[in-house]
Amino acid sequence: MIKAVIIDDERNSRDIIVLMLEKYCPEVTVAATASDCAEGIAQIREHQPELVFLDLEMPDGTGFDVLLGTRGDVSFEAVFVTAFEKKFLHVIRCSEVELILKPIDKESLLQAVSLVKERIIGNSSKERYQVLLENFHNLQHASWKLLVQDTNGDSQTIFLPAVECLESRQDNCLFRLDSGAEIQAERPFRYYADLFSSLQFYQVNNMQMIQLPNISQIDANHGKIVLKSGLVVEITERRRKDLLARLQR
Amino acid sequence: MLLLYCYTAGTFAYNPAPDTLTAKDGFAASALDLRPYMNSLSDPKGHLTIQQVVHLPFTTTPQLFHDYKKNNGQGNNCWFRLQIKNNGKDTLQAILFAGWHDFMYWYEKPPGDTATLLMQTGLMYDKGGVERWDHYGFNVSVPPHEHRTFYLHVINKSYNENPLMPALFSEQAFARFHNREQDSYRKEAVVIQVLLGMLLVFFSISIISYIQLPDRSYIYFAIYILGLILFFALRLESKPYQLSFFHRWPMLKYYWDIPGLLFCFYLMYLLFGNTFLNLKERYPFMEQVFTWVSTIVGGLIIVCIYCIMMEQYHLPVIIYSYVYFCTLVPLLVVFVALAKRSRHHPLVRFFLYGSVCLYLACLGSFLMHIRPLGLLSALGELAAPSMLLIGGVLLQAMFFLAGLSYRNKLVHLERTRTQELLIKQLNKNKELQHKLNEQLEELVKEQTTEILRKKQELEEQRKIQLETEYDKKLTEIELKAIRAQINPHFIFNCLNSIQLFVMQRDYEYAQKYLSDFSYLIRKTLDFSRRNFISLADEITYLNTYLGLEKMRFENRMEYEIVVDPEIATAELEIPAMLLQPYVENAVKHGMTNPQQPIGQLSIRFTQVAADMLECVIADNGIGIARSRSLRTLPKHHQSSGMEISQNRAELLNKMYNTEIHIEIIDLSARDEADSGTVVKILIPQL
Repeated sequence: MIKAVIIDDERNSRDIIVLMLEKYCPEVTVAATASDCAEGIAQIREHQPELVFLDLEMPDGTGFDVLLGTRGDVSFEAVFVTAFEKKFLHVIRCSEVELILKPIDKESLLQAVSLVKERIIGNSSKERYQVLLENFHNLQHASWKLLVQDTNGDSQTIFLPAVECLESRQDNCLFRLDSGAEIQAERPFRYYADLFSSLQFYQVNNMQMIQLPNISQIDANHGKIVLKSGLVVEITERRRKDLLARLQR
Repeated sequence: MLLLYCYTAGTFAYNPAPDTLTAKDGFAASALDLRPYMNSLSDPKGHLTIQQVVHLPFTTTPQLFHDYKKNNGQGNNCWFRLQIKNNGKDTLQAILFAGWHDFMYWYEKPPGDTATLLMQTGLMYDKGGVERWDHYGFNVSVPPHEHRTFYLHVINKSYNENPLMPALFSEQAFARFHNREQDSYRKEAVVIQVLLGMLLVFFSISIISYIQLPDRSYIYFAIYILGLILFFALRLESKPYQLSFFHRWPMLKYYWDIPGLLFCFYLMYLLFGNTFLNLKERYPFMEQVFTWVSTIVGGLIIVCIYCIMMEQYHLPVIIYSYVYFCTLVPLLVVFVALAKRSRHHPLVRFFLYGSVCLYLACLGSFLMHIRPLGLLSALGELAAPSMLLIGGVLLQAMFFLAGLSYRNKLVHLERTRTQELLIKQLNKNKELQHKLNEQLEELVKEQTTEILRKKQELEEQRKIQLETEYDKKLTEIELKAIRAQINPHFIFNCLNSIQLFVMQRDYEYAQKYLSDFSYLIRKTLDFSRRNFISLADEITYLNTYLGLEKMRFENRMEYEIVVDPEIATAELEIPAMLLQPYVENAVKHGMTNPQQPIGQLSIRFTQVAADMLECVIADNGIGIARSRSLRTLPKHHQSSGMEISQNRAELLNKMYNTEIHIEIIDLSARDEADSGTVVKILIPQL
């Protein structure tokens, strides 16, 4: 059985999570619910849950405050639940912490719970929360960290600026780092392409995405881009102009 | 000019027999005058043959002989007989020379034998080169103690006969004589050759000039010079012992004698003068005279040539002398007329000087010849190449050539002047054009400036208009963007709530919630398209919104909307979605006061002035300051909702040119015990 605590400022939200867990996830028991951060921290301390459903915005703080408040003495897996999130989406995704959007649908809930269950059973590292909080406090995403779940099921934390290039590898994504190291991530290329598209990344062709500060040289005439490690990628005609325009900005 | 040689008799004794020359041993006469020994027989009809002549009697006729050129007034056809007896022991070897004549035949008749022709020659007959001159010395050869008779047949068809003076030379003496003759004639030949050279130069010059400037007078001048060249070259033919050009045609020198003179000095001269002086334009009458005269001369030339063909050599001379004397006065008249007519024209001067030079030279030459030759003979020698005449010819040619050059120069000057005139005209045109261009340019400039000014004005207007429009559009867009920002959080939370009601099977509630929510969304979409809505609509909207919020917060919230009854809510218009963000903020903060279990929210609309609507949104929350301090979010994550509200007011003011005023009061700032936020919005009525 997995002991869970639900923290949400709206009763309706808490109720629906409780209801859905009862209905679809019998292995999870809700030990307590809380309507704000302070109460949530108290409940966590009291019940020592293995899983916490966290609302992001509450009257007296955010879900991050709960994590900060319980750091050190309690260790649990967190699942963020939010109605609409833009601000913290990248922070959460980069650290591979689960996020469910309201209104909650069955599949997302089941997927999140099963993933978290695996982590609890495997007693996996809580590094992701470390990464999450670090990123949360960092103003510049240029110094963010990225937690990558590789195809072996291990997770690796890398420095985001170290990523030179992402490559599509069938259902997975290959990370090429400036050190020359490569990581075969479990998630598909498309997932990262969507995630990084608003950051300092640029998709040069259907298969590759590069991080702009890592460009060493652009051979615009031949559609080639040389990265700092010496890696050469090709850029399509259409994207070339777009990229040059973006770099000028 | 002819040099005359007198053959003096040698110191040898005359033979007592009157008609037989008896030679002794050692005959070495340098030049033995044979006149006493030569008996003659005249044959004016020319029917006699040598066979007949030997049987006819010969007489002594000393008047036949003459040592100068003589006009006989008729042709001469006579036979001479010379009888020689050699008394010596050696063979007599001597040479007989009797002068240069048209036809000469030399016969020898041994006693009792028939006469044989030893030699035949003559100026009209011999075609040989320079060696032909040796044919005129006839060999006399008499063996010792023998007697020989020689016959000389001389025919002169032209009336002017060269010296006829038979003399006997020893071989050495004849060689000396030959040399003497050669030297004297060489002087004449050299003069002629020099003249020919100069004439050739003139000829080349005129031809070259013609090629470069095709003017007819050059061609006439060239033909004139060519005629002269031919004439003087043929004069060489009768210079003994000299090289000559046309010796193969011995008759040519007769054909181009008088006809040549007529051709050069009359025909070509007139033609040349005609074109050279441009008489056709300047003096048409003279031109006609010239043309007529030249036609007549042309006819005369043909007549002369015909006469020569008929062997009537004296007729051309007569014709020429008549022509000469007949034209002398008219020519003078012509010259005077020309000189008068165009006194100041330098071309005429050139022509006149040239003509006068030649005619004076001719006259001089004629006068020089009159004395030795007599009037008629001298006429034939009018154009004989004496130094004077040659000088005259050269002077004339030079004058003519100079005249041609001058003409050239005149043409050139004319052309230059025309060109200058043209250039001047062109320059004038250019200047005019330039001036016009300048005027035009100025005009264009003025107009351009005007146009530019207008364009600029228009552009500025347009710019201002565009700017205003752009600003308006921009604000509108911004406003729309802001307006559309009904908190998505709220939307999804609403949906979440509906989902819960469905799951809890509270269908009535779910339906109520769903219809309210739909109304709200519909209104939001509607308002986002409009700038102003009526106050009544706004109140309904806010009511619905707050109702939903209340449901979300399980009735932990209470609200009231108070409208001044004086306000006609249906007519009063306020900017769409102006109040919603403040109300939402009030809900948010109002729900976070731990001291107040139930959030109180009130919205009041009051007519504070005739054209001023006041809206006060008050809550009993923790206030803005404390709300901020509570939040632990890093700075960059701060909510910007209120800032947006502030911007909204500014934007609205800018857009509708109104004075919407927003005041936010934190109640706790005034009194610690008090809590809550009051937002005062002053909306001027349009």
